[in-house]
Amino acid sequence: MNRLLKIRNLEIGFESKKGKAVRLHHSLNFELTKGQFISILGPNGAGKSTFLRTILAYQKVLSGDVYYGESLLTDLTVKELAKEVAVVLTDKIEESFLTVYEIVSTGRYPFSGFTGRLTEEDNIFISEALELVGISSFTNRYFHQLSDGERQKVMIARAIAQDTALIFLDEPVAFIDAPSKIEIMELLTMLSHEHQKGILIATHDLEAALRYSDELWLLGVDGEVDKGDPKGLLNNGVINKFFDKDNIVLNKEKIRFEKKSIN
Amino acid sequence: MGIKGKTAPWFIIFLALVIILFLANLWYGSVLIPWKDVLWVLTGSDDINEINKVIILDYRLPQAITAIAVGMALSIAGLILQTVFRNPLAGPSVLGISSGASLGVALVVFAGSLFQLELLNSAYIFREISVVAAALIGSFLVLLIIIFISTRISNVVTILIIGIMIGYTVSAIVGVIQFFSRAEELHAYILWGLGSFSKTSISQSVFLLCASLLVTMVVFFYIKGLNALLLGDYYAKSVGVDVKQIQIILIIIAGLLIAIGTVFTGPIAFVGLAIPHLARYFFKTSNHGILIPAVILFGISLTLICNLIAKLPGYDTSLPINAVTSMVGAPIIIWVIVKRGKVKRA
Repeated sequence: MNRLLKIRNLEIGFESKKGKAVRLHHSLNFELTKGQFISILGPNGAGKSTFLRTILAYQKVLSGDVYYGESLLTDLTVKELAKEVAVVLTDKIEESFLTVYEIVSTGRYPFSGFTGRLTEEDNIFISEALELVGISSFTNRYFHQLSDGERQKVMIARAIAQDTALIFLDEPVAFIDAPSKIEIMELLTMLSHEHQKGILIATHDLEAALRYSDELWLLGVDGEVDKGDPKGLLNNGVINKFFDKDNIVLNKEKIRFEKKSIN
Repeated sequence: MGIKGKTAPWFIIFLALVIILFLANLWYGSVLIPWKDVLWVLTGSDDINEINKVIILDYRLPQAITAIAVGMALSIAGLILQTVFRNPLAGPSVLGISSGASLGVALVVFAGSLFQLELLNSAYIFREISVVAAALIGSFLVLLIIIFISTRISNVVTILIIGIMIGYTVSAIVGVIQFFSRAEELHAYILWGLGSFSKTSISQSVFLLCASLLVTMVVFFYIKGLNALLLGDYYAKSVGVDVKQIQIILIIIAGLLIAIGTVFTGPIAFVGLAIPHLARYFFKTSNHGILIPAVILFGISLTLICNLIAKLPGYDTSLPINAVTSMVGAPIIIWVIVKRGKVKRA
């Protein structure tokens, strides 16, 4: 069974203050298989975060179906879902006195009992995750003393320790300096290609997404949707359709946005 | 998240401190009781001065046990509320639960004045029971309102603000009631509001301790949930914690603990707010596996120390405990906030 995630005719959106549902997309159809690294791209307000939150059950599915393996999202309990997918979110952790080890060990919570006592096996998962991300030396440091890039690695280690087939990441490389960004994208590629994880990220970083993903899911502001391999979407001009503004266009060769030349 | 090796010796030291403070509470007062007779509580030998036995059994032991029960209950309640509301200023008085208890007591006193029941002159037992029942009902009414709101509103900060507003409203109602009360009732109410560990009988104090221990034991089953909540609702959910459910359970537990820590003694200020901060900064951890036992020991130590300070003037009566806990607790909060600023910048 290689298909990890299947999304059928999914309608996403949110309730506005007056109780009216604001629909962002009516009919999303996507699939993610083992070992795939997929990026969700789209301009601000296209619903990337809403999409992620909906398939994680943080937000209601308006209509349509989300399958994890063979199970329907709406049939899964919180604990069952925690064994299917691990996440790295943009939520800030404010607590001052949590060590890296303590944060990574929360990844083992879906498997531990009432008190959260860790077994020998849990500790192996935790140290392997730290090792894989290359932060074994941070184990006993306080999370809040780390740089943004290092914190992001801790959260990825935490997701790895959760030992799920899928990892979803919301803006994993925003606010992170260029070398750390490459490091994290390489790490995610390694997780998908070598460890056969299904990786799904929502990002603004077009360049990084084009360079590293196996597939792009494009969400537009007016409900347009497209998907495909990065090269194809770039060459046939689909990406331009989603991102170009009046006089700012994507230069396909240089993969950067430029002001439209007058001629 | 087990207890690390270096923290275990500290727990033994603080446990010893609690025992010493407990014995000191039996020893110290308007009359100093010889240590031989103080230790009778532990040994139970027959060789004890009868007067000292009465002083210990009727006055000092219930007081010390009450201080222990209240210190534990309020500190754990404060820790739970600070974690659930992810707010360092959350505490027993903040959610309006202790104000609810105050309203209950004020209503009973006022009803007495309204129906000419002469509560103060009526049988002591009747007065006692009605005041305790009123405090319990009052705190639980506010708690029910908070729970009702928290099932509808998912934002914990909003709930916190609503709790503070309920507290102000309830206090305002109490103020109006006081305005219409007669001098004697006002006096009775103010005495309750000043807080005291000395109004409980031995059986009441043992009841308080058992209730406090029982509810605190339940909290140990939520170490994992509390730790997960530190990462935020979504991260907690992502590791299989049913956030909504656990928040409601923890708020109920906190409410119970606050009711336990308020009914017999009146609202005790600052203990629930200050102790969790002190424990966090002493052990440099946010891990509830360490914090819960630390908060229990620190909370008990603080109330026992405050009870000793209250007896310092050396008369038969002691200082209002609320004034003492405020004088000790408020500087702790200030110190912690200043320290916190330094840690954040580092």
